[in-house]
Amino acid sequence: MAKRERVMRMSVEQPLWRALTAYRVLTMFYAIGLFATHYGSFVRPEVAIGYYLVLIAWTFATLPRVANAASCTKRFLAADLTIALTGILLTPVADAHDRIVDGGPTLPSIWTAGSVLAFAIKGGWRWAAFASALVGVANVLQRGALSQDTLHNVLLVWVASIAIGYVVEVARASERTLARALEIEAATRERERLARDIHDGVLQVLAMVQRRGSALGGDAADLGRLAGEQEVALRTLVSGGLVPVSRVSEDEAEGALVRAVDEPDPDEGGPCDLRSLLAPYATAKVTFSAPGTPVPLDPAAAKELAAAVGAALDNVHRHVGADARAWILVEDEPDEVIVTVRDDGPGIPEGRLAQAEGEGRLGVALSIRGRLREIGGSAELISVPGQGTEVELKVPKTDMTNVKDPKGPRGKAEQR
Amino acid sequence: MSDGQGPIRVMVVDDHPMWRDAVARDLAESGFDVVATAGDGEQAVRRAQAAAPDVLVLDLNLPAKPGVQVCKELVGFNPALRVLVLSASGEHADVLEAVKSGATGYLLKSASTDELIDAVRRTAVGDPVFTPGLAGLVLGEYRRLASDPGPATGGDEPRAPQLTDRETEVLRLVAKGLSYKQIAERLVISHRTVQNHVQNTLGKLQLHNRVELVRYAIERGLDDA
Repeated sequence: MAKRERVMRMSVEQPLWRALTAYRVLTMFYAIGLFATHYGSFVRPEVAIGYYLVLIAWTFATLPRVANAASCTKRFLAADLTIALTGILLTPVADAHDRIVDGGPTLPSIWTAGSVLAFAIKGGWRWAAFASALVGVANVLQRGALSQDTLHNVLLVWVASIAIGYVVEVARASERTLARALEIEAATRERERLARDIHDGVLQVLAMVQRRGSALGGDAADLGRLAGEQEVALRTLVSGGLVPVSRVSEDEAEGALVRAVDEPDPDEGGPCDLRSLLAPYATAKVTFSAPGTPVPLDPAAAKELAAAVGAALDNVHRHVGADARAWILVEDEPDEVIVTVRDDGPGIPEGRLAQAEGEGRLGVALSIRGRLREIGGSAELISVPGQGTEVELKVPKTDMTNVKDPKGPRGKAEQR
Repeated sequence: MSDGQGPIRVMVVDDHPMWRDAVARDLAESGFDVVATAGDGEQAVRRAQAAAPDVLVLDLNLPAKPGVQVCKELVGFNPALRVLVLSASGEHADVLEAVKSGATGYLLKSASTDELIDAVRRTAVGDPVFTPGLAGLVLGEYRRLASDPGPATGGDEPRAPQLTDRETEVLRLVAKGLSYKQIAERLVISHRTVQNHVQNTLGKLQLHNRVELVRYAIERGLDDA
C-alpha cells in the first residue's frame, strides 16, 4: 500500500486544489476591491455589501472544502455555484443599468470562475461544461440581452473550463496507469523471488540426485548424469537474471506504459547483453564464466561472436572428443570484449599449427577468424601442450556500447 | 590453527535437511568434526557463535536471514572463521556479495563429494577456493570498480582496488578452468605463489568492501551513534 500512497503524493491533482483555494480567496478580495473603487456608481450599495459579507463568510468557511477531491462534495459544488449565480443575478439590482450595459463587472466578478474550476477539477470536462453553461446563462440574463461582448466572455469561460476539466481527466487516467504499473512491477518482483526459491529447491534436488547417483554407480549413475545435465541447464537459466524480464514499464513520469516483452528487440538498435547469448552453451562439460554485470555489445556483433563461440565448441567436440571439458570466459574490457574458449585436450604441439595452416587444414579456425574479422575483431589460437587449446576472440566496442563508460580508455590505463 | 591438532571443526548451514545431512555425513566420514548444523540464517548465527567452527559451509538461500548476512555477521564476529559458500543457483550478486564480506571459497552444489571435501580442507587452511565462474565474476567486479566513477567527494577517497598484471593473469587462467598446478606450470611460478595471487585478489576486494562500509558509516554519522 505504500506504493499507492506515493502515487497519491505525486498526484498532479493536489497542486490544482491548492491553486483553486488561493484563487478563490484572491478573487474574493479582487471583487470587493472592484466594488469599493466604484462605490459611488452603485444604485443600491447595501445589496452589494450584504452579498459581499455572505461571500466572505462562505469563501473562508469553505476553505477546507476545496482542499482535495474527497471533501469537495456535490452539495458543496451546488451551493458554491448557487452563490456565484445569485451574485451575478443580483448585479442588476445593486449596480447602475448603464454600467451593466457597458460591460461592467458582475458582483462576484472573476470569483465565479473559481466555482466553475471546482467543477472541472472534481468531475472533469462534462461537469465543467455544465457549470460554465449555467454561468453563461446567468450572465446573459443579468445583461438582459445577448451582446457580442457577453457571448465572447461566456464562450471563453466555457472553453477554458472544459480544457481544464479535460486535463484533469487525462492526469487522473495516467496516475491510475502509473499506480497499476507499480503494482505490476511489485507483483513481478515478488513472483521472481518466489521463482528463485522454487528453482533453488529444484536445483538442490537435482544436485543431490547427481551426487548420490554417481556414488551408487550402475544405472543410478546414468540417472545422476541426467540430473546433472538438467541442473546445469536450469542454473544457467536462472542465475544472474539472464532470463530477460517479462515486462518493462517506461517513462513513469508521463504515466507509465507497461508492455510485455518477449525478448530483446533487435530492431531497437540498443546493445544486447552478450552473456545471455553465451550462457546457453553451458552444459555439464562446458563451464561459462562472465562478469556479474551485463556485457553490452552491438547486437550484430554479439550474434557473430556467439556463433563463433559455437563453432569453437563444435571444434572442441570434434577434435578432443564428446567428453571433452571446455570453459568459456567473457571479459568486459574498457575498449573491447574478450571471449576465450579453452578445452582440456592434449593441445597442439608447436609447429603443427603453422604446418596445418600451411596445408589449409585449419578450416574451423579460419571460419572463426573470418566471422570475427567481419565485426572488426580478431581471433587467436593459443595452445600449450598438456593444457589444452584456447581460442581467444576479441571484439572492439563501438561507440554505442561504450556510452555508459565515457572514460573507458582511462579506466584501462588505470587497470593495467 | 586446525592442521596438526585435531580434526577440522565444520558447521553446515543449509535449509534442505536432506542436503544438510548428506553434506554433514560426507564430511564426518572423511574425518571432519561436524560441530553443528543449522537450517536457517538466525539459527546459523546463534549456533556458530556457540560452536565456534573453523569452517562454515554455507548455503546462500536461507530462510529467516539471507546467507550473505549470516556470512557478514559471523566473519565480523570472528575474522578467523573461514566460510565456504555452497550454492545451488550461483546467483551472481549474492556470490559476489558473500565473497566481499569474507567468504573465501565458493562451490556449486553440483560439485562432487571429493571436490567438496577438498574444498573444505583447503578453506580450513586459508586457501581460496575458486570456481572458474567465481573468477569470471571477480574479474568483472574489478573492471566495474575501475570504471565506476564513484561518489564525487574529496581527493582522499579510497581508490578502486586494482589487480597487478600478474594477479589478473592468474585470475584469467583460473576463469579458463586451469588448476593451480597448471597455472604454476604455465607461468613458471610455484603452486604457493599462485595461491597467494588468488588470495590477494580476494583480499583487496574484501578490504575495499570494509573501507567502503566504514566510509558509508561515517558519511551517515553512524560512528557517533
